[in-house]
Amino acid sequence: MGYPHPPHERETQVLSKHFGNPEARTLEGWKKLGGYEALRSALAMEPAGIVDIVKESGLRGRGGAGFPTGVKWSFMKPGDGRPHYLCCNADESEPGTFKDREIMRWTPHGLVEGVAIGAYAIGAETAYIYIRGEFTEPLLWMNRAVREAYDDGILGENAMGSGKRIDIVVHKGAGAYICGEETALMNSLEGRRGNPRIKPPFPAVAGLFGQPTTINNVETLTAVPHIIRNGAEWYKGFGRPDNPRSTGTKLFSVCGNVARPGNYEVALGFPFKDFLYDVCGGPPAGRSFKAIIPGGSSVPILTMEEAEGALMDYEGFVAAGTMLGSGGVICMDDQQSIPKQVARLARFYAHESCAQCTQCREGTGWVTRILERMLAGEGQSDDIDTLLELSEQMTGKTICVLSDSCATPIVSGIARFRSEFEALIPKSRSHVPVAAVAV
Amino acid sequence: MAETKMVTLTIEGRQAVVPEGTSILEAAKTVGILIPHYCYHPGLPVAGSCRMCLVEVEKMPKLAPACATAVGEGQVVQMNTEKAREARASVLEFLLINHPLDCPICDKSGECELQDFTFAEGPAVSRLHEPKRFNPMEDFGGDVLYVTNRCILCTRCVRFMDAVAEEPVLNVSERGDRAVIGVYEGEGLTHAWASNVIDLCPVGALLSKDSLNKARAWELDRTASVCPGCSQGCNMMIESRDDVIARLRPRPNLEVNEYYMCDHGRLDYRWMNRPDRSEVPLVRDGGALQPAAWDDALAAAASLIGDREVHVLASPNLPNETLWLLRRLVDRAGGSATFRCATGDEAPLPGVEDLALRADRGANVHGALQLGFSRVDFDSPLAGVSSGAVLVVADDELADVKPEVLRAAASVLVIGTTTGVPHEVADVVLPVANFAEEEGTFTNLRGRVQRFLQSRGAPGLARPTWFVLSELLATMGEDTDYFLASEVFDGLAAAQPAFAGLSYDSLGLAGQQIAQTSLAGESA
Amino acid sequence: MSSGPSQPRPQLAPHVAAAHEPYEPVFVGARRAELEELFTRYPTRMATLLPALWMVQEDRGWVSEEAMAEVAELLEITPAYVKGVVTFYTMYHQHPVGKHFIQVCTTSPCNVCGAEDVVRSFLEKTGCGELGATSADGRFTVVESECLGACGFATPVMINERFVESVTPEIVADILAELD
Repeated sequence: MGYPHPPHERETQVLSKHFGNPEARTLEGWKKLGGYEALRSALAMEPAGIVDIVKESGLRGRGGAGFPTGVKWSFMKPGDGRPHYLCCNADESEPGTFKDREIMRWTPHGLVEGVAIGAYAIGAETAYIYIRGEFTEPLLWMNRAVREAYDDGILGENAMGSGKRIDIVVHKGAGAYICGEETALMNSLEGRRGNPRIKPPFPAVAGLFGQPTTINNVETLTAVPHIIRNGAEWYKGFGRPDNPRSTGTKLFSVCGNVARPGNYEVALGFPFKDFLYDVCGGPPAGRSFKAIIPGGSSVPILTMEEAEGALMDYEGFVAAGTMLGSGGVICMDDQQSIPKQVARLARFYAHESCAQCTQCREGTGWVTRILERMLAGEGQSDDIDTLLELSEQMTGKTICVLSDSCATPIVSGIARFRSEFEALIPKSRSHVPVAAVAV
Repeated sequence: MAETKMVTLTIEGRQAVVPEGTSILEAAKTVGILIPHYCYHPGLPVAGSCRMCLVEVEKMPKLAPACATAVGEGQVVQMNTEKAREARASVLEFLLINHPLDCPICDKSGECELQDFTFAEGPAVSRLHEPKRFNPMEDFGGDVLYVTNRCILCTRCVRFMDAVAEEPVLNVSERGDRAVIGVYEGEGLTHAWASNVIDLCPVGALLSKDSLNKARAWELDRTASVCPGCSQGCNMMIESRDDVIARLRPRPNLEVNEYYMCDHGRLDYRWMNRPDRSEVPLVRDGGALQPAAWDDALAAAASLIGDREVHVLASPNLPNETLWLLRRLVDRAGGSATFRCATGDEAPLPGVEDLALRADRGANVHGALQLGFSRVDFDSPLAGVSSGAVLVVADDELADVKPEVLRAAASVLVIGTTTGVPHEVADVVLPVANFAEEEGTFTNLRGRVQRFLQSRGAPGLARPTWFVLSELLATMGEDTDYFLASEVFDGLAAAQPAFAGLSYDSLGLAGQQIAQTSLAGESA
Repeated sequence: MSSGPSQPRPQLAPHVAAAHEPYEPVFVGARRAELEELFTRYPTRMATLLPALWMVQEDRGWVSEEAMAEVAELLEITPAYVKGVVTFYTMYHQHPVGKHFIQVCTTSPCNVCGAEDVVRSFLEKTGCGELGATSADGRFTVVESECLGACGFATPVMINERFVESVTPEIVADILAELD
């Protein structure tokens, strides 16, 4: 079992090994556990050497997109005379996901170390860790860890005596899901509304403050010291042999209707069925699973048949008709109404839409109102078609993917549980077309 | 200078050749294709957010925003594929779900891009079963009213105030479909150029309080003109209804005012509709001014002047054509040509180079100087008038001058638009058209000669200023039988070296630069 | 000001009274120094906007229009700009709220675990009655919050800066009893 439960024997604990251990939170304790040795050896290397190791390890972004980390780092050109920035995305807001929270609560120095290595590797003197405002406890621990690291000379103008400058600033968000989108995060850090930016330019060319910037997720950066310490080959050893594109371990946050919710770390490629029933203990007593959203609320919902056949890595989940996403596993049992949860997710996205793009601003609100009307017993015969058509127009047409994310549960929910939606349209009510009002 | 690399692409089957870095949307314009859009405006930073301009670009998996996608060599762009048409229709449907559809009472109706694009390819019915969102209207200060419910959040107004006016007093407030354009209480659109947000607004969300409910867009007659409010010479459109000027709006000219005009110029038009007009020629007879036929009045004016010195006080809002003829009047027997010009604070539009409401609140200060007029102190306009001279008051109301001062001159010829002080002492009054009632050219402070056209009829027997002057000179034996403003201008261009090479036709509606010469007194 | 005998004023709830207090600047003394120090960590002053607004809220409990103007002046931006930013982020209170600001996560992962019952229980037991309203004594404001990022600890509840995990309707009364 995974944190907050004792570890399960089938977990592969790398990042989560010290979850629950108060000693790991302090600098002294962290050093005793081998902390900052990876940073020391990294600082003795050429930045390009670090990038190569990370590239070789196959580490991919753990925030949701799964972009190869080393490749992303290689877009940065240290020494081009411009300030470079590293942003650590600790705005963990994807419903169902709470792994970064635990990393920061229990191993804050692990993240500081990963950020410091990343900053050095891309030629950034300043790194900003953007933590969502609701994470009061992670903020407390991260601020403390950064202060300790400065006091100990790990950070600052002469990081660990290397003569290299590494500054880390913890930046507190203020309540906006969209700030987890990388360019929105940069805008937010600059003191703006958290609106995603149009790309190009890409962050590696013009990111934070208009300068070359790399942005990585908490879990991604926390994995880096382990890779530096143990080598790329070691990291590549985790994962299924037939899929070299997904390597390493991954934290999965498990929540909803499940016997033992929590964070579980497994090697990528782990069978999802075993994960759900063995590692997480299956559904709550007396219930059965009905549906699973395996990668945070933005990925397609799966039936149990689909879920039980899936393998837990980037390609495995795609093969099952969904995505790995951020690794937030939301379980729904037989007591749950799929339309109700789809409506609840739509409301979430409507609440979080930044208001820039038309389809998203108006669409997220509209589909929410349709779904809530259906749930209130006022379903109309054209509602399902309208929902699907609006979802189609909300997909792939906006600056960022928040709009797509709102459409995903609707489309996948209707595709797999259509009868539940149809049941919300009273049979007696024949379709009454709206008067053809010219618009 | 490095040569700009040109890129060739195909848009809707037409080949476009544009500089590298041009957006698909701008490239399409060069081959006569308008890709529908709302948030994009050539004078503003690209937002890429309305998603109306999505087009299909060969080899791109998703539809691309034409405003934010740079052209590529060999690119094939299509805007009328099923996918792109559906996307546009869908954006329109989304924009309309919360829109009040109150076109019958909307000032923007008839010139609204939401109407136009919906008419072109929008959905005919709405699938919305839910009640619409409602927000109250808000007074944004200055001349601007915000009709929240009509807003499509294109943010052109926000970007104008931020990036062009550089006074970000507008914001986007809230998120999602609750978002509105907001102000901070007590700090509204008081910037000297703020009302441009009204023109920039593609829908009826930002309206002019000044012209609220005055006219339907389709009732307005539009005339290309040049703002007489200061020496900048912003190109503008005079919009009139039933021969009454109802509204002034900027007319794009990238060399002068880009897409903008200031609030001072925009709102200062009521004088063009003044009813207290001088409508018939008058000749003083037995102590009182008596109506006279034009020929008699011109003859009276000619004999009044005779061979005497002429002192002209002209308005700096008279066209070059008239000023040149006045100059010729002075040159006949000597005298002086002067003008005075009111001044005020200069108010630049920071985001546009060399664009400001200029301190000189007269349109043709530069033209007057160029044509040999000298500028006199505003507070003592008649200081230099010698007692034996004929004073010619050309369209200066002299409202601040006591009649006694005018009586110092031997004789007074008034060539004016309104009744008033000069009439009390005038020997002859020749009624003329005002700026909006005639055509001509102004020279702006950078030496650009620009044409303005006639937008309404002159009252009574009033005639264009240049016509009256050419008739007067002809009566006095000069060779000035001009019948058209263009003839006067071409005569001027032939006679004045600074205007050499210009012709009325070649000026077009965008104007042309005169030869740069140093101008004494311009810096004053 | 009336010079007559002072009338007994109606007693205002603390959160209502707070909205009518004359504005005193936040950024004086130590707070000002803290902000100045923050300026050194970012290449622009504007980047300190979120932290500056947090300081305002820590000191005043909410971000008033006057505070927005104060922050705007120090950061060399306009009050309207600040207001646009404040209204984007849900955690800044644009009105005074109860002494204990209670946010209950109700997004799907918590929703399937019964978060709606937790909300109902808080509304009942605090006397707030409806979401967003402040109890008459000014002690509580209860709101539904979107995902708090603690889905495995359903239902998480944030009370001011404090997180309470795994809340069920049964323990709501006990949680409230511990608050002053």
